[in-house]
Amino acid sequence: MNYLFLQVLTGLQISALYMLIALGLTLIFGTLGVVNFAHGALFMLGAYFAVVISDAFGFSVALVSVPILLFIVGIILERGLIRFFYERSHTDQILVTFGLAIVIGEVLKTIYGANNLPFAKPSWGSGIVKLHEYLPFLEGFVAYPKWRLILVVVSFSTVAALFLLLQFTRFGLIVRAGMRDSQMLAFLGVNITRRFTIVFGIGAVIAAIAGLFGGPITQVEPELGMKLLIPSFLVVVVGGMGSLPGAVLASLLFGMALSFTAKYAEIQQIIIYLLAVVILLVRPRGLMGKKGLME
Amino acid sequence: MEYVVSILKKFPLTVFALVILTMPFWFPWIGGYGGLATKIMIWALFALGFDILLGFTGYLSFGHAIFFGVSAYATGLMFKHFSDEIIPAMIVAVIVGTLASVIIGYLTLKKSGIYFSILTLAFGEMLHSSALSTFGGFTGGENGLTLPDMIPSMLGIEMRGEVMFYMTAAVLILGYYIARRISDSPFGLILKAIKSNQERLEYTGIDVQKYKLGAFVISAIYASVAGSLMVVYEPYVGTEYLRWSTSGNLVLMSVMGGVGTLIGPIIGAAFMLYFENVLSVPLGEEWLLVLGLIFMAIVIFLPGGFTDGFKLIYKKLIGKKPDGEEK
Repeated sequence: MNYLFLQVLTGLQISALYMLIALGLTLIFGTLGVVNFAHGALFMLGAYFAVVISDAFGFSVALVSVPILLFIVGIILERGLIRFFYERSHTDQILVTFGLAIVIGEVLKTIYGANNLPFAKPSWGSGIVKLHEYLPFLEGFVAYPKWRLILVVVSFSTVAALFLLLQFTRFGLIVRAGMRDSQMLAFLGVNITRRFTIVFGIGAVIAAIAGLFGGPITQVEPELGMKLLIPSFLVVVVGGMGSLPGAVLASLLFGMALSFTAKYAEIQQIIIYLLAVVILLVRPRGLMGKKGLME
Repeated sequence: MEYVVSILKKFPLTVFALVILTMPFWFPWIGGYGGLATKIMIWALFALGFDILLGFTGYLSFGHAIFFGVSAYATGLMFKHFSDEIIPAMIVAVIVGTLASVIIGYLTLKKSGIYFSILTLAFGEMLHSSALSTFGGFTGGENGLTLPDMIPSMLGIEMRGEVMFYMTAAVLILGYYIARRISDSPFGLILKAIKSNQERLEYTGIDVQKYKLGAFVISAIYASVAGSLMVVYEPYVGTEYLRWSTSGNLVLMSVMGGVGTLIGPIIGAAFMLYFENVLSVPLGEEWLLVLGLIFMAIVIFLPGGFTDGFKLIYKKLIGKKPDGEEK
């Protein structure tokens, strides 16, 4: 029982980070139709900002300022670069965002060096939680790092918040309509361009949240962006491109798979790729992809 | 000026071969050295094959390191366990690379281009991480496959220095000739039609999937030959050969040079290696940042790459409009 519980918890914790990055990716693809290879770099930028700001002013300042900073970065990127690529091919979008990812990575490397920056957790987040005190079905002594539990909670809260935003607000309604047919919406007099800019900003904010809470458990180094981008892209494709529930489901699947194969390193290294290949062979559009899209 | 260009147009292959074969004489003038010239030949071959896929069909693979790396490992293992003779090693390596490309191409070339880019990237990382851990026993794991004191030879002739350069140059010239023939063939035309309008091509009754796989496998064969030559040139297989960054560099050089032109990616490969090894001395650690910025500028303002840039400059010089007649 204890074993199973801990494996599931670890699975949740692994999927939490993938989920946050994949969420931003799939949101941007679903609305703007842009394949953003620079999304990993945005996440990495969030982690670097978080380290630097929390070292200087404390974590609580970083908690407020990093999402705002990334929102601004997102808006600047969308207005200054990405919007010129809506009309160009997906290949060009991939190329330019790939170039952007290299540039962001190299800028960070030039400023902070190629080595790992230590990310100190705030005092309220370090230490362990004695789970057996709260959950009676666990036997004996069961403890889990507090920060990892916080990451899981933050991640699922972010998913819930995004879902509420898209499902129950006027802004969400317009964005969802824009995902269906942006041209029609523009004819109806809705300023869809501005909404899409904001969506890109929201994607960057989610990346910032991932950087803030994921930074302490990953390493903060210039390769980080690409390292997490590849599995997160797989999450997006397996979930179905542009599908938010699909991204959540696929990241849970990957997290569990990684957690339950932890004993066998040879399998764990390739398990998510194997899963992705099998799922996409059986169902090319992904688990919850829309019919006709990416099939 | 116009005379030079007319010669270029009439005898492209001869001019190409002359430029390549005289490289040992002129390359040192601009700061290059012998080994770098050989490396440029190898990467140029890699990029040339890649152009048959990206330039003709428009399918952007982020996993061509797979074929380069797999064939490099195969070559290394042949050297280690069989003999230092390069012909059997290269044959086995190319067969292994080709088989890998048939399987991966079949699985990834489904419909959409994005799907393809992401899946090839994922396959690459899968093989990279499995070479590091799962098959670490064969591949030497994190250290790469080391081949101490190995001097590969062809029919008893040791493959080093000038001999290696001319061998690689000959392969590149042959590769360029074949690629040009493919470009002019009906097969090449269909590949180019895939890029411009795949759907319409399907309506004419052509099995597009088969042609895409064909282009993918041909480009993988070029990659395998390049990967194998890399190990002949430098008897060591680094783990980075299989890494996404190798695929990424390939994409960078192809796009900078100009995709779809065959000569563009070769220029791009030469530019990038020259940049990495010669210009990086004055630029220092930041050379990759500068390269990244150049790459972005090219994607944004000059999607045709350097070759397109040359054309524009040439037309400015002789006073024609940029969209004037050309062939």
